[in-house]
Amino acid sequence: MTLNDVPIGASVRIRRLGGRPEMSVRLRELGFCENAIIRCISRGYGSIICEVSHTRVGLDSTLARRIHVSQSE
Amino acid sequence: MRDSGGNAPIRIIALVGNPNSGKTTLFNALTGLHQKVGNYPGVTVERKEGSIRLEGDADSTILDLPGTYSLMPGSPDEEIATEILLRKATHTPGPDVVVCVVDASHLERNLYLVSQIIDQGLPVVIALNMVDVAARAGFSINAKNLSHELGVPVIPTVASKGEGVAQLTQAILNTRTPSAKRQLWRLPETVQKETEELVGILRNVHRLPAPQALHEAISLLTTESSLLDRLDRYAPEVLAHVRKDHQKLDFLGYERRAVFVESRYAWIRSVCAISVTRTGGARKSRSDRIDAVLTHRLWGVVIFLALMALVFQAMFSWSTIPMDLIRKAFDGAGLWIESVMGPGDLRELIIHGGLAGVAAVVTFLPQILFLFLFLGLLEDTGYMARGALIMGRVMAKVGLSGKSFIPLLSSFACAIPGIMATRTIENPRDRIATILVAPLMSCSARLPVYALMIAAFIPQRSVFGVFSLAGITMFSMYFLGLSMALLMAWIFKKSLLSGAPPVFIIELPPYHLPSIRSLLQLMWERSRLFLRQAGTVILGASIVLWFLATYPKSDGGTPAQNLNRSFVGMAGHAIEPLIQPLGFDWKIGVGMVTSLIQREVFVSTMATMYNVQSEGGGTVSLPEKIRQEKNPETGAPSLTALTGICVMVYYVLAMQCFSTVAVVRRETNSWRWPLFQIGYMTALAYTVTFVVYRIGLVLGLGG
Repeated sequence: MTLNDVPIGASVRIRRLGGRPEMSVRLRELGFCENAIIRCISRGYGSIICEVSHTRVGLDSTLARRIHVSQSE
Repeated sequence: MRDSGGNAPIRIIALVGNPNSGKTTLFNALTGLHQKVGNYPGVTVERKEGSIRLEGDADSTILDLPGTYSLMPGSPDEEIATEILLRKATHTPGPDVVVCVVDASHLERNLYLVSQIIDQGLPVVIALNMVDVAARAGFSINAKNLSHELGVPVIPTVASKGEGVAQLTQAILNTRTPSAKRQLWRLPETVQKETEELVGILRNVHRLPAPQALHEAISLLTTESSLLDRLDRYAPEVLAHVRKDHQKLDFLGYERRAVFVESRYAWIRSVCAISVTRTGGARKSRSDRIDAVLTHRLWGVVIFLALMALVFQAMFSWSTIPMDLIRKAFDGAGLWIESVMGPGDLRELIIHGGLAGVAAVVTFLPQILFLFLFLGLLEDTGYMARGALIMGRVMAKVGLSGKSFIPLLSSFACAIPGIMATRTIENPRDRIATILVAPLMSCSARLPVYALMIAAFIPQRSVFGVFSLAGITMFSMYFLGLSMALLMAWIFKKSLLSGAPPVFIIELPPYHLPSIRSLLQLMWERSRLFLRQAGTVILGASIVLWFLATYPKSDGGTPAQNLNRSFVGMAGHAIEPLIQPLGFDWKIGVGMVTSLIQREVFVSTMATMYNVQSEGGGTVSLPEKIRQEKNPETGAPSLTALTGICVMVYYVLAMQCFSTVAVVRRETNSWRWPLFQIGYMTALAYTVTFVVYRIGLVLGLGG
């Protein structure tokens, strides 16, 4: 599943980043790297807010679709 | 490589860190008042420099570098920091000591940059900032353990309260050598071996120092294979080796781009495990609960729109009380001067030239302060970044990202800070598109023009009981500017600046209560700036205009006829044919020319001209005089509600600000974009106003 499918409040582990390489680099630098745990905080109109390494980050759902995740436990 | 140890004086200290790490607060605490702001040559990113007296040493320079997440830069402001730290910049010598500011409450992400900087082999001191915030969030960080793991001094600080600053200064003084440890993080064995081999080759072939060779090796190994051909600054044998590495790592199933970042983070997690203890549970924070509402898919949008409506209502209803007071004060001053001075040209000059012009503009101070107060509140509370997220969808529709929203919103105050705020936009095409449309957002200098036209021509009437027609007209003008900005951005992104649709990611600072002190300071500074301009530029322009509107004096005839024959009259009649198709008379034409100084000069120009021609003086208000203006030939009112609307539409769309042109030139580093901008905006303003005027005439609004 992708970050878009994560229910609010749930924590998941990042499996893989898809999409353009330069964006993946930026994502990883902000803490969205493989194996990191992220928690979905809220979902807006076309956007999503989540917490990764204690930082709150907002991103659009086009980008969230490229972040593949799985259950963290 | 740096020489080890020694007691060479520390000349340059660089302050680096992630955005929002409190870097600038620490810079202020370290330097006190010894600062100067300048620009880096070539690109315009603000450069802040200060001096500090280290014990026993001469003054050292502290550079406050733009915030960055990594040394693989993504946007123009990050590039500057990287160039200086990698000693690539020709304009600034490399730093002797790097102070890395780390936000203790976001330790993991901040350590990513720290590890890159340590790899550079520079002497580093860590300022572990905001330890109080981290403690409240439930973390306790053992600075000693952290320092041991990183091999560099770690000083806990609370920059906003000045805590730890003395210790930090001492640590800077004692730090002359780089960390004994290098590349603390470990790659998977094969990747590590290949990387070391490449570092060796780069050092041999290109004579690179070890730290730079490591940085370039990582950069080469993470590049797209297809892009290697373009890197002609490397020797062919180096590129051949890199190509072989790519094949090998790809074959072994390594995600090349991910493995370096991930290895760093794996190391960071191990460092955190040793140095961070959780003191409180991971409770649902206040920010979580606020975000659940403010960024909600429905409520978020509703609240955002309600906030915007509130601002307009505040600007137009609440500000009338202070505005009336200011107006009365100026009227009183005029009457007083009239009572103490004998009649004559000097008295006329003071009252109708200077005072009337300045009063007409200063009256709008309360409205402008409301606007700045509101924007300051948005920024201070942390809502601005959420607004960008909410507007992200709309921005995506026109091909921009939510990042462009913040510059556009700031442009409601003034396009200049708005255009400077585009530096955070990573993609150059998106950045240019945002710069091109930013001046279409109605800035505070247009406000007096709209307000004057509305007072003159829009009847006082309420709509649906809650809103006033005046407020709705004003809102329509702001809305026109915004929608034109979005439309033009869409056109530019489809044609001149086409590119992949941007993706949007933004760090959201935690919500906090705004600081009353910093808000008051912001409003005070704004008022001072505004009043100083009113006292200089606008006063000067009004006086010059009064002379031009009064001389050459012709005997006999009504004051209106005299104005007609004055220098201003002559100039106005000369440009009249150009603006007649828009329904403007020559007086508005004069205002359009003088507003090139600053848009609000339009209002003082009108005040001066109408005062010169009116016989009685002070009792009739300026909007009233404009309304009563008669065409000398037909006797019909020469200006109508339609003219008022056309003037506003023209001001929404026209590029009339020299300072903006200068900033666009600086920011884009060429004359091409500012000239293009003047061209398209003038054409747009003229065409749209013409169409509005013609349609208005057909609908019978011109009567």
